[in-house]
Amino acid sequence: MTQQNRLTSGGRIDRSTPLTFTYNGKQYKGFKGDTLASAMLANGIDVVARSFKYSRPRGIVACGAEEPNAVLQLGATEATQVPNVRATQQELFNGLVSASTNGWPSVDTDVMGMIGKVGGNMMPPGFYYKTFMFPESLWDTYESMIRKAAGIGRAPRERDPDTYDSINQHCDVMIVGAGPAGLAAALTAARGGARVIIADEQNEFGGSLLNGTEKLDGKPASEWVRAVVEELSRYDDVLLLPRSTVNGYHDHNFLTIHERCTDHLADIAPVNQVRQRMHRVRAKWVVLATGAHERPLVYANNDVPGCMVAGAVSTYINRYGVVPGNELVVMTTNDYGYQAALDWADAGRKVVAIVDTREAAVGDRTEAARQRGLNIISGSAVIEVQGTKRVTGVSVAGLSASGTKVIGSVTKLKADTVATSGGWSPVIHLSCHTGSRPVWSDSVVGFLPGATVQKQLTAGGINGQYETAIALQEGFDAGQKALAEVGLAAANVVLPETEAMKVAAPMSLFHIPHLKPTSQAPKQFVDYQTDVTAAGIEIACREGFEAIEHVKRYTAMGFGTDQGKLGNINGMAVAAKALNKSIPETGTTVFRPNYTPIAFGAIIGRNCGALFEPERYTAMHKWHVQQGALFEDVGQWKRPWYFPQAGETMQQTLNRECLAVRNSVGILDASTLGKIDIQGKDAREFLGRVYSNAWAKLAVGKCRYGLMCGEDGMVFDDGVTACLGENHFVMTTTTGGAAHVYEWLEIYHQTEWPELEVYFNTVTDHWSTATITGPNSRKLLAELTDADVTNDDFRYMDWKQITVAGVPARVFRISFTGELSFEINVQANYGMHVWEKLIEAGAKYGLTPYGTETMHILRAEKGFIIAGQDTDGSVHPYDLGMGWCVSNQKPFSYIGKRGMNRSDCTRENRKQLVGLKTKDPKQVIPEGSAAVLDPKGPKPLEIQGHISSSYWSETLGHSIAMGFIKGGLDKMGETVYYPMADGTVIEAEICSPIFFDPKGERQNV
Amino acid sequence: MSDLNNMTAAESAATKAAIMNQVPGSEIEGQSPLHHADFASLAQQGPKTGGIHLREHKLLGHLTLRCNAENAEQLAAVERVLGVALPLQPLSSVESGNYSIRWMSPDEWLILVPGLETFEIETKFRDAMPGHYSLVNSSGGSTVLELSGDNAVTLLQKATSVDLHLNSFPVGKVVSTLFAKSTATIRRIDEQRFELVIRRSFSDYIWLWIQDASLEYGLVIEA
Repeated sequence: MTQQNRLTSGGRIDRSTPLTFTYNGKQYKGFKGDTLASAMLANGIDVVARSFKYSRPRGIVACGAEEPNAVLQLGATEATQVPNVRATQQELFNGLVSASTNGWPSVDTDVMGMIGKVGGNMMPPGFYYKTFMFPESLWDTYESMIRKAAGIGRAPRERDPDTYDSINQHCDVMIVGAGPAGLAAALTAARGGARVIIADEQNEFGGSLLNGTEKLDGKPASEWVRAVVEELSRYDDVLLLPRSTVNGYHDHNFLTIHERCTDHLADIAPVNQVRQRMHRVRAKWVVLATGAHERPLVYANNDVPGCMVAGAVSTYINRYGVVPGNELVVMTTNDYGYQAALDWADAGRKVVAIVDTREAAVGDRTEAARQRGLNIISGSAVIEVQGTKRVTGVSVAGLSASGTKVIGSVTKLKADTVATSGGWSPVIHLSCHTGSRPVWSDSVVGFLPGATVQKQLTAGGINGQYETAIALQEGFDAGQKALAEVGLAAANVVLPETEAMKVAAPMSLFHIPHLKPTSQAPKQFVDYQTDVTAAGIEIACREGFEAIEHVKRYTAMGFGTDQGKLGNINGMAVAAKALNKSIPETGTTVFRPNYTPIAFGAIIGRNCGALFEPERYTAMHKWHVQQGALFEDVGQWKRPWYFPQAGETMQQTLNRECLAVRNSVGILDASTLGKIDIQGKDAREFLGRVYSNAWAKLAVGKCRYGLMCGEDGMVFDDGVTACLGENHFVMTTTTGGAAHVYEWLEIYHQTEWPELEVYFNTVTDHWSTATITGPNSRKLLAELTDADVTNDDFRYMDWKQITVAGVPARVFRISFTGELSFEINVQANYGMHVWEKLIEAGAKYGLTPYGTETMHILRAEKGFIIAGQDTDGSVHPYDLGMGWCVSNQKPFSYIGKRGMNRSDCTRENRKQLVGLKTKDPKQVIPEGSAAVLDPKGPKPLEIQGHISSSYWSETLGHSIAMGFIKGGLDKMGETVYYPMADGTVIEAEICSPIFFDPKGERQNV
Repeated sequence: MSDLNNMTAAESAATKAAIMNQVPGSEIEGQSPLHHADFASLAQQGPKTGGIHLREHKLLGHLTLRCNAENAEQLAAVERVLGVALPLQPLSSVESGNYSIRWMSPDEWLILVPGLETFEIETKFRDAMPGHYSLVNSSGGSTVLELSGDNAVTLLQKATSVDLHLNSFPVGKVVSTLFAKSTATIRRIDEQRFELVIRRSFSDYIWLWIQDASLEYGLVIEA
């Protein structure tokens, strides 16, 4: 394939490094330094997409982030698919594989073409609202149809092989944009000693200076750029970020930057390299030097491939050595449009005409064109383009002085490229992100950044200043201002000499009239990506949508992935004309983050896969893994769920584990329970205030169970607290509630009772806990300690400091299974040692490791609650039948006392926790099932409560359940019903939740 | 108090707080939170050059002291016990011989000592310290990582939003903050050298995270 549009010299490409790429299955050549778009244009590729609604062929229009059409799918493999890539921003690399996204079987021969045209007629503005909302039931059908027709790319179906990163940055001055203004600001700030970050979305710094033929200090501007970049890179405190788009500007000068680290190298990042990186920047001052986007004009058939913005034509010629056509017609409302014609002529191709909408304009660029003998047609416009897959000619006609009417006859000219310039739109997006409303400027013919609450400065094109000399000066001024604001002395910078250009006043014109009324003229596109036409906007206005935000929603203008960068201002102008208002009167246009689409990978960074969420491990975790435990997530902890043996079903495992505990001895890793060390003379008093029960008389060496309630009287956590010393306690909490309880204690201490002398420290990770439980647990413990652990010397609810397996330990004789139990706590560095010794010594007793599931069954057999499972923030201790755990004798109140004495909490018929025994002992009621009194009664059935815990009890040979029933504590022996989704009904009898050993004899032996 | 390790309940009540020597005899090897990562082997077999160097200072004594920074008697007592005064400047630290003290909050300090000295120091504190305070042994609950190398700062920038520039994070500064999705107490001990106190249960996550985030630079394990 030849690159028929490639110039033999010039541009910033490296002709010695040819690259091969694929577009829609065909191979093409380009050069290092190309963007995908410039390489496509070099190869004469005209059609890069089919339009979303009308399925019209579309070509490349622009050369940067504003490109609406060349939005391609990239990726050589399924796993490396990337949607929404603007070919104008994607650097070419060898082996790049790209494809157009909407157009099947190909953009050149689109079978959707005809359908699309029919569809287009059927899809007037407001189509979605008018058609698809009714009947609502059909929306799913419509949606899939629209999606298939519309799609702008797709996500990969396989795991992305690349890694993504995020990093935090801090600086004095964050400069957005490395064109003349940004570079001048950066140079000034850096020389002044500031910490500077300068980011630019392009592969190299320089911005507009790289796109033209301008000279600085009499030399090509790129030489000044090189010198500045070289100097900047020498400062330790300056961070240069090319290929980095500042995509979001958030509160407090927090900015997010999307850096494409290796997207320019290959389909997959080189080994160990990151593909993209998000920089999270906290800047003291921000300088926005984001430049401006050239506005195309709106004219009939302005979407035919070959219609481009004028500046892009210059850029392709000067920067990439590509002339995107042979015969050029320029249409412009300002002097800058002439530059495209001058560059085109310099490239040796034919300039058919420069059509200037102004009657007479005298500036340096217009004069240069005149001197070159280029055909200038004044006071006229290109009112229509001929061609479908490529421009073949244009119709030119005279315009009225206001530009609202066609006057005079129509001349047809042969051309394959139309470059238009309707002036420039300052890139105010980031300024808008902060909530600042932009302000219309008649002289700039565009919106400028509005008042801001941020520490923000602006320089250059964003201010509507398009001459290099002014951009440089504004950048310099912004740099000095930022230096002063951060307390640094002014810097010494001499700006380069520029070629002063005289510029004639531009004409404020957006929408080129046609011989026919807009509604009957060929389509005049405003927003290419969402196929919004001038006629469509007029219809919206006619139908009563007068505010521009309503017009946008009705027509979908600006709703594409390009956010209407090219089209929004033109659309506002069309609406303003239709409503006979000025542009600012129709409203302003604002933008939200992100400025350009970002891959999800870059947003998630390395917080995916194994690092998605921290996994917290106990000191014995490795042992559990080696034993083949399955794990349950409890908060961030990985707790063994159960320990299956070969060939066992889960239920078989649970049965085995439960019986082992009831008949001999089992072992549980209880290290994850929250543990809080409490010291101070008022520790006991504090406990009495945060727990519902009494603590005044708990002796040293004793443990007690406590319930913790919120101010509303509802239970939120529970656990055992031991008195270690007169002023020293250790509290245990639920695994998931530990952090909250610790915070709760600190908050109450710091804000309500700072006079109490008490300190809290978390010791959850410090102690490792092995719980041995079952009738043989004492024998096992006795084998590993010299201490007396008989029932006489070590009573139920005592704790002892003894040595276990050679390791100093605190052993708590407390029980969550109802069996004789010992919770052995040792410093976690020795947890594995003690665990392994227990396992070794326990073999003769058939010591059986068990996990959380068996733990749940065993405790449910005993009617012990699990906070968070049998409580849900709406139950107080009395609802749980745990009034015994509330003391109203305390001199000081306790948290929740008033709450649980509110009238609603003391009324009759509250839902109360009871046990439920199924009529069919084999049936296990699903957790969450709702209880009713009469399943055959009139619907809706009144819900009496729900099941909170339900298991098969192998020990008892029948199912057991705990659940809530209205007034349940007074309904023992009554029957309730649980209707199932499949129509069956489970019948159950209300009973005590204590199914096993109701007198609690087993734990006291 | 000579025999705190075998205190009766009555004796414990007299001291108001229960303390115990939690470290067994030397015949029992302690397993630090990163024991399973086997840094010793990685140090021998792994790469010898890279932008990130990582070392674990394991089995140290970690004591959390909470007391009143305005109580001169308490401050004097601490200095008597440790031979060095508490750092009162927020986010600062002091180091003296084998001891280092990190300011954690206005009434909280983390004291790191050699593991075998922990109980002795606890005992001295109980004898010397007047007034309301708490001293908690948290040695089993955390470990210390030393992170160094040319890319150490960059790696930390990925983990924490704290500004690590030398001007705002000088040598000796201590910050307790987020580390990726966990937490760490970060102390700068040299321009490119940091100590991280991390929690036991999160240590495997942090170890995985450091390996992943170091890929760009190369990771050297030291032991």
